[in-house]
Order: sequence, then C-alpha cells, then structure tokens
Amino acid sequence: MNLLGAAIREIVSRRRLIRYLVAAVTRKAGTNTLLGNVWWILDPLLQMPLYVLLVGVIFRSGTADYPLFVFAAVLPWKWFTSSVADATTSVSTQDQLIKQVPFPKLVLPVAAVTSGIPQFAFGLIPLIGLMLLFYRDRISPFLLLIPVVAAVQLVLTLAVGVSLAAFNVFARDAGRLSGHVLRLWFFLSPGLYSTDRIEHVTTRYPGMGHFFRLNPFTILFEAYRDLIYRARRPDPTALAWLLVASGCLLAVALILFKRLEPRFAKEL
Amino acid sequence: MAPQPATPPIPPALRDGQSGPAAGQVPQTRGAALADGQDASAPRERLAIEVDRLGVRYPLRLARKPTIRQSFVSMLRRRRGPRRFWALRGFSLQVRPSEALALIGPNGAGKTTLLQALAGIIVPTEGTVTIRGSVTGLLGPGGFDPELSGRENIGLFGALLGVGATEMRDRTDAIIEFADIGGFIDAPVRMYSQGMRARLGFGIAAIVEPDVLLLDEIVATGDEEYRARIKARLAQMVRATRAIVVVTHDMQWLAEFCTRAVLIEHGRLIADGAPADLVRLYRERTIAAEASSSSLGHPGTLHDP
Repeated sequence: MNLLGAAIREIVSRRRLIRYLVAAVTRKAGTNTLLGNVWWILDPLLQMPLYVLLVGVIFRSGTADYPLFVFAAVLPWKWFTSSVADATTSVSTQDQLIKQVPFPKLVLPVAAVTSGIPQFAFGLIPLIGLMLLFYRDRISPFLLLIPVVAAVQLVLTLAVGVSLAAFNVFARDAGRLSGHVLRLWFFLSPGLYSTDRIEHVTTRYPGMGHFFRLNPFTILFEAYRDLIYRARRPDPTALAWLLVASGCLLAVALILFKRLEPRFAKEL
Repeated sequence: MAPQPATPPIPPALRDGQSGPAAGQVPQTRGAALADGQDASAPRERLAIEVDRLGVRYPLRLARKPTIRQSFVSMLRRRRGPRRFWALRGFSLQVRPSEALALIGPNGAGKTTLLQALAGIIVPTEGTVTIRGSVTGLLGPGGFDPELSGRENIGLFGALLGVGATEMRDRTDAIIEFADIGGFIDAPVRMYSQGMRARLGFGIAAIVEPDVLLLDEIVATGDEEYRARIKARLAQMVRATRAIVVVTHDMQWLAEFCTRAVLIEHGRLIADGAPADLVRLYRERTIAAEASSSSLGHPGTLHDP
C-alpha cells in the first residue's frame, strides 16, 4: 500500500518530466519520417482495407458497412498494441540514463502510454472523414462518448504497459512474447467479427463463452462499435466493471513496478 | 591491507592560487551549501558525504547466458557457481564540503559503483550512504537522447534532476554558454562529437549547482581553454563549500584539480591521501602487478601485496 502511494505521488509530482518525455517522443516521431505525424492518420487507414479485403471480400462476412465495422476496432486496437509495445521497452532502452541520473523510473512507461493518446486522437480524423463521406446515416451524438470508452481503455493499457516494462528489464523475452500474445488476443476478440458470429462456439463450449465475456476487449470493441457503428448507447455496467477491474490491475502493476524498481540499475 | 583509514588526512589547499589560504581545511560554516539544520558548533564535523561500511552486491549475469543444456546440467548437479559478486564491500568514506575527491583504481575496482551509490542510482546491499544536500547524477556523455537537440536535452535533464521549470529556464543560457559548442546546441545530439557531449554533460552538472557534484570521466576532455574553464568552475564550487567526487584515469588532471584522492581496488579502500602521493602509489602498484602477472603468466590479475 505504501508502494502504491509512493507510485502515485511520483507520477503526480513528476508531471513536468512526463510531459517533457511525451513531447520528446512526439517530436522525434515527426522528424525521422518524411510524412511525420501524418502516419498517425495513414496507419489505421492503410490497415483497414487489408481486413476488409481479407474478411469482407475473401471470407464474405456479409456484415453491412464492413469497412466502418472493422475501423471501429482497428483504431483502438492499434492504439493499445503500440502503447503496450512502447511501454514494454521504455525502461530497458533507457539503460544509459538510468545508470546516470536518479529519477522515478515509473515516469518512463507512463510517458510511453501517454504519448499514444495523440496518436489515437489523430486516428479519429480519418474515422470522422470516412463517416462524413460514406456513412452519414450512422453519425450520432454518441460519437462524443468515444473519449469515455477511451479513458477506460487507457487505464487497462497503463496496467499492462507498466507491468511489462518492469518484466522486460529482467527478461527481454517479455517484449517478444507479448507481441504473439497480443496477436492472438486480437483474433480472440470480436474485432473483425461481431459477437453473434461465434455464438455457435460459445453455446457448445460454455467455458469459451465465459472467457469471451471476461475479455476486456470484448467489452471495449462492443462499446466502440455501439458508438460508431450502431449509433446507440453502450452497456454502462460492463464498462463500469471493466474500469474497476482495470483500476485494480493498475494498482497491482504499480506495486509490482515499485518492488522491482530498486533492482533496475543493477540489472540493466 | 586495512580498508579503513585511521584518520582522513587533511587535504592541502586547492592549488589554484586564488583559493586563498587553507580553503579546504576548516569546515565552513557560511555558504549556501548548508542544507541541513545541524549545529555548526557540534563536536562532529559537518560532512557532505558519509559512507558507512557500504556493500554493493551485483547479480552475476555474464554476457552470455547459459545454454539450456548448461542450466540443465547445473540443475541436476545442484551446484551453483558464483551467482553474485560484491562490487564494493565494507567501504567507509567521509567527505567534507569544499573537498574535491578523486577516486582512482584499476578498471572494475568499484569506482563507478561507488559514484552510482552516492548518486542514489543503486541501492546499497548493506551499509549506508548519507548525502547532505542535493546531488547530481553522473552526467556522462552517454545519457543524452540522441534525437533531441542539445537545448532540448538540457530541458530534459533539468526535469530528470527535478530542477524547477523557471529555475531551469534561467540556467539554460548559462549551461549553453559554458558548454560553448556554438550552433550545435540546436542540432540533434547524435551529430555531436564525444568532446561536445562531454562538454554539455559537464555544463549541466556544474551549472545545476548541487551540493555534491559527481563526475565520471567527463572532465578530462577538451582543449586547453576549456580545461582552464572547468578548473575555474570547479575551484569556484569548492570555494562555495560544495563537495566534488570525480572518477578519472587522467593522473595529471587529478593531481592538478583534486584536494584529496582515494585508491580503490577490488571494492575496497586501499589508501587515502594527497593526490600526488596516491598517484605515485597507484603507479607503483600497477607496475608491481604487471611485473608479477607477467612473471606468472597470468595477465590481468591484480592481487593485493
């Protein structure tokens, strides 16, 4: 509990450092590529047609307005995976710095996850553009609730990112492994398909059904899709539960990180 | 060889000409560096750094990991090799304000580990480290973000060291002036030469004005003019009753700049005294070690006489 308090105090008192690190990442992302931050818009736009071709055309999913259906999941998923990947390596790549300056290492994964927020925000530009051009009838005031769902996702991302950052110091396998786990996680979540598509599986294997319902990204994808695709209110109870669960997970992650932090400088 | 010096010798005054008589001898009761509220007339001398029986143990992780077969074999035999080693053990040291202390010793002796413990970067396995006042990290040439400009790195390090935003803004110009790398200050650090990085590192470390300044091999670079500037700056800091601890292999430099030196070998304090004496002792020991190792045919082993 003391560790949790210390962790929160560190984040709050080192706001300026986190802001600085975030600004540095953002500036760097913009300078090394020709298109700079335009990639934040292009990335999801280029990934979406891939899935549309694969699932919509080759597998003939037959879902109405499938591009938008997929986009509503690809956008938050890309945000999640890139934030988790950045956070995982955030501590281990700063070994030089950690050996030279004493500072709360927690700012590193926190800054890495925070840097992903503008990336997600920019991704909303092509989403809105797509809707204005092709799916005008699906536009609703519910779109304004996207930040609420995104906030729940952010807490979950922080929890995963902070723990993986600590593990990756001791075993670089954490980064490698998480890439595979994340890919599997995506296909097990209703990102490319809707929940009713797998009903025949979940009715036959109830265990799978529980797993599926407890999957945070089932709740998140459904919520995003309600706002963007179905123009309706998402299930507030599920989201509330997810927020509480993610909050607990984050608390555990922070304590874990603080526990391991004193050993970082020697391990790196 | 006893690791514990009986009495730390009185450091000679800084051979600077301007430092005045016996600048390093009397514990100064005035000055800005008196961060703690301790009574100056207390019988115990006010210390900037107090290291008490410090021990730092590292998990021994060699560059090559054991293969699966090796770990399997060692698991079956239940024999554990040396999994950890002590970089420092039973190390005690006291540094007064206005001392410029040089750590000398062969590679791997534990000098950088000691600096890291002083900076609070690594946590002691046993013993204690007490620093009175603020301390900088070891701003060497390696820690900068290569993609950010020198100016941006100054801001980043200010934030890392916990210097306030307005204070840092005031000091940025002084750091840039001290580093004196011209237009490169707005170029990404990856374009810097090694010397430029060192200048920037020392600039940040020195201008932030900590009570305890730690320097790891970054001062002994640069041309004559720059060296003179560093010397003047360090002398100024010593006069302001700040303590300086520096690791360097540049013997001429430390004889010139430091008021005191300690010799470290195998994580233990071997000798403590005037820089010139310690440099001589270190050279003698190195020559002796080389002679014995070449006669025995064991290169690189340095054992205590």
